[in-house]
Amino acid sequence: MSFSEKKTGIIGWGVYIPRWRIKLEEIARIWGFSPTTHKGLMVEEKSVAGKDEDAVTMGWEAAKNALIRAGIKPSEIGAVWFGTESKPYAVKPSATIIAEALGIVPETMATDLEFACRAASEALRISLGMISSGMIKYALVIGSDTAQANPGDVLEFTASSAATALITGPSSEAVAVFEASYTYVTDTPDFWRRAHVPYPLHGEGFTGEPAYFKHIIGAVKGLFEKAGLKPSDFDYAIFHQPNGKFPLSVGKKLGFTREQILPGLVTPYIGNSYNSSALIGLAKVLDEAKPGQRILLAPFGSGAGSDAYSIVVTDKVLEKQDKAPKVKDYLDRKTIIDYALYAKYRNLILRIRG
Amino acid sequence: MKFSIARFWREKQAHYRLKAAKCKSCGRVNYPPSSICRYCGSRDLEEIFLLNEKAKLLTWTIIYSVAEGFEDKRPRIIGLVETIETKARILAPITDVLPEELSEGTILEPVLRRINEDGEAGIIHYAIAYRPVIKPVGRKED
Repeated sequence: MSFSEKKTGIIGWGVYIPRWRIKLEEIARIWGFSPTTHKGLMVEEKSVAGKDEDAVTMGWEAAKNALIRAGIKPSEIGAVWFGTESKPYAVKPSATIIAEALGIVPETMATDLEFACRAASEALRISLGMISSGMIKYALVIGSDTAQANPGDVLEFTASSAATALITGPSSEAVAVFEASYTYVTDTPDFWRRAHVPYPLHGEGFTGEPAYFKHIIGAVKGLFEKAGLKPSDFDYAIFHQPNGKFPLSVGKKLGFTREQILPGLVTPYIGNSYNSSALIGLAKVLDEAKPGQRILLAPFGSGAGSDAYSIVVTDKVLEKQDKAPKVKDYLDRKTIIDYALYAKYRNLILRIRG
Repeated sequence: MKFSIARFWREKQAHYRLKAAKCKSCGRVNYPPSSICRYCGSRDLEEIFLLNEKAKLLTWTIIYSVAEGFEDKRPRIIGLVETIETKARILAPITDVLPEELSEGTILEPVLRRINEDGEAGIIHYAIAYRPVIKPVGRKED
């Protein structure tokens, strides 16, 4: 069966990871957790945005890298969608700042989307619809977060900072073509942040089975049924990565092997970058992928929902891979900081400002 | 509100995309852009953008006594850089680098950063800073 998605694909991709890292054992030391508490998360370190960074600056760099790979003029982009849950302004779009700073304005759509960690994936699906309908030629989809967590909460072990950008467009120009996509959402109280509250809360018993697992499995099984696919049809499987353990576990439940999942698993090195979490896994796979390979992508966002995409790599990927820094280049650029510097960088220290 | 919103808006192309003015008479690039070439006085200039150019660090200063509003960014590093192709000279913050890592001639690239903000409620000032280029792992650099 042929779906509208087949008219669309990824034209360019780019990422950004800040230089700074904090070790999980340092967070455990500060808050008095058992030295073994964080071991089960399968995350060693998390990335920390610097004092002059936020979701906009990180998203800008990821988008700039995606533009370099795409090789198109910024003015050709017909939509800029910014998925985040850490927008610098409560009211004033981040998307327009990035669009202006990259020379995409004024003839473009631009907005910020919110759906916890899945907003950028919703943007991706919207872009497939608008491109396949012919309303726009290219879209810039950005997932960027300086993820917040209440200091001392277990979420703090993994809430990290990174950004991924995808430029989507016609399949004839694509490094990877979308074959089919499927979305699965329900109202689930697993994680939320109320207005004017600085940190999110989570419904303990809801984060695993009723949220992450139910929705990703629902989306992936829906995709399989819709497109007539099975796990062995894929070379890679990338799931939302709140920690190192969940993606391997949900993959196993769905019938994927570790070998399919590990190449796209970035969380063990940088933590959970929320809207960039699954997309940076896709970027890492595109950095290394070969023509003809098939990728399963399944982002997830609390609240809750998941999208599943089947993506097939084309021969155009090879000429784009070295044009911009790869995920590995950013992973290797790292300096470990202590909790005190991390607290300063992430505004956890209360100061009176003149 | 301490920032001039009008000035911020008026100068955004210079801050976001390194809009500059190239003199058609002497060929020098003026940054920030100007309607009169500050090198030869010509009024015949064209608009160019320096965002896609790398730059070389010529010199720098480390500021410990920072201006009000920059306390959390202490020490600030301000560098004089020269763009590789157009030879434009730009004064800009140097970021993602520790003072002891700096050396003359370091190749830098422009990155958008959150330079300052007008208190808790005011406008956030984004602008280009420079940082050492991201080195590709196991591949040849440009």
